[in-house]
Amino acid sequence: MFKKLYRFFEVRLGIKDILEQNLTKYLLPYNVNVWYTLGAVLLTLFAIQFVTGILLLVYYIPNPAEAFQSVDRIMNEIPFGWLIRYLHAIGSNLIIIVLLLHMLSVLFMGSYKKPRELTWVSGFILFNLALGLCLTGYLLPWSQLSFWATTVATDAAGAIPMIGDGLVRFLRGAAMVGDETLGRFFALHVMVMPALLAALVGLHLFCVRRIGISRPPFGEGYRPAEVQDHFHHEEHPGGIPFFPNYAIKDLAVICFFLGVLVLVVFYAPGLFIPPDAFVPADPFTTPEHIKPEWYFLWAYQTLKIFPNEFLGLAAQGVVMTALALLPFLDRGKERRPGRRPLFIACYILGILLFVAISVWGHYS
Amino acid sequence: MMTNIRYLCCLLTLAGLFFCVSPVLAEETVCIQCHGGQEGRLGAPVAAWRESIHAQNGISCHDCHGGDPTDFAMAMSPERGFLGKPGYTEVPAFCGRCHIGVKEDYLASAHGRALEAGGAQCVICHQNHRVQKASIDLINEESCSRCHAYDRAKVIKTAVGGTDRMLASMETDLKMLAKQGIAVKTMEDKTFALRNDFHRLFHSVDVEKVRQETTSFQERGAEIQTQIDAVHDKLGQRKLMGGIVAGLLFLASLICFLMRKTYHQEEEAQR
Repeated sequence: MFKKLYRFFEVRLGIKDILEQNLTKYLLPYNVNVWYTLGAVLLTLFAIQFVTGILLLVYYIPNPAEAFQSVDRIMNEIPFGWLIRYLHAIGSNLIIIVLLLHMLSVLFMGSYKKPRELTWVSGFILFNLALGLCLTGYLLPWSQLSFWATTVATDAAGAIPMIGDGLVRFLRGAAMVGDETLGRFFALHVMVMPALLAALVGLHLFCVRRIGISRPPFGEGYRPAEVQDHFHHEEHPGGIPFFPNYAIKDLAVICFFLGVLVLVVFYAPGLFIPPDAFVPADPFTTPEHIKPEWYFLWAYQTLKIFPNEFLGLAAQGVVMTALALLPFLDRGKERRPGRRPLFIACYILGILLFVAISVWGHYS
Repeated sequence: MMTNIRYLCCLLTLAGLFFCVSPVLAEETVCIQCHGGQEGRLGAPVAAWRESIHAQNGISCHDCHGGDPTDFAMAMSPERGFLGKPGYTEVPAFCGRCHIGVKEDYLASAHGRALEAGGAQCVICHQNHRVQKASIDLINEESCSRCHAYDRAKVIKTAVGGTDRMLASMETDLKMLAKQGIAVKTMEDKTFALRNDFHRLFHSVDVEKVRQETTSFQERGAEIQTQIDAVHDKLGQRKLMGGIVAGLLFLASLICFLMRKTYHQEEEAQR
């Protein structure tokens, strides 16, 4: 029966050929390293977000009067509801961590350079979209943390001259965070952003597959490839097959990150879900020391460092734009870290600055 | 129409409650704005109140003293219900408007019966504006011996100590569970009710009564503690399961890495 079914599809779709071309005959550079597995880890984590998100949707009620109670019900009454919610909430934090690691590895190995500009730009937009999903998802439980973190986050847009107030109103749907904000954040979180994310993941993977995996710029035999002016798929003759040789490494790293996710979910959920997340939103009582999530702390503190918020926002805009357009700014073909001292110095300083400003933001 | 009126009534009631209990708005009352800026006798109550359990729970000046906390001119007008400062013997009735149960037990106690003769009333032990949270720590030699020997009070304190510690431990436990998103409202309410009933009991300052009734309080406490223990057991089981799953995932990761190593050796051999 199974053989017949297989034959039916094989004749019509050429499944064997597809599998061979994308698995066993898909060759990767022989020195491909562990950092290349982070894409597969991210795909797995996004899949978990998708499944847990749908399960949460079954019981979640997007209405300020009932949102908190519905989440409380998920946590305490629905079988394994707490697990689904924790996997979703903590998984989102893990996604940001892995996204940062993925981007840092791409920067370190110079894999964003021509002809992979589109892969980088689509990935960078994906990163921002993931941050947007975190921000919009943060409000949904309608807790004190949700309400006030969203108030602080949306308030920052008010610093933009001329359009600031209008922009804050547009983001919130009203003067204050309320019913309208929850409605639009819910729509963005469950429909608009996931659809965009899926499309961008598709584009990103298409770019990766179409142009070919970049060779790690390490080892004595490495020489920067000549960049062609016409389309050229980078082949890796003598490389290792994706399946099973490299897929097993993907699986190893996926299992490792899932193990970390499970450990945090079961033993230290408080790392990412503070006590204020379990107190219903109260627009009349501002909690002490309200802070955004760890991945927004750098932005939060930047606004405080500059003499006015507009300058802070402008600085953030400059940094993010420079990162987005990096392949068009850094046009040299050299990818070996040892031969890019200026870039690596900026890279290390950038990481240190990000960590320092975030820690400062946490304790400020 | 009727629904609208009901809705409006609910809204007004909620708004009223909000104005009564919100610590944020308590800061904005005209009482605090005016007295807070004064020195000496007229300003001292505000500083004392800020350190009180009342301030922590949003109970402000007008909640006890009446008056209009929104109108400077009429804030202390009897027309707006201003009561002013109660006389010494009026204090139990003054506090007892909210602390009804405690008032009953107090009035029946030796302290209450001696009120007219200068017997201790609420503020003697709990202070007036710097009202302290009810705790058996308020029963101490320094405080009690201002009026009488400490012996009897010490006996009462010993009798209630075990139950009070049990209640305090349960409250801490429930707070920790609430911070983890566990639904403990019912248990918190039961503990709160038990604590209130228990605190009523020792306002009777009757050693025999305290000894007789402590057992029933401990039974009620044990019932709640059983529920708390059940939650802890469930959390323990979760952690065990999580540990097993995480362990299996790390094991799978290790096996995959080892398999990758064998592939790597094969690749090296072929090169």
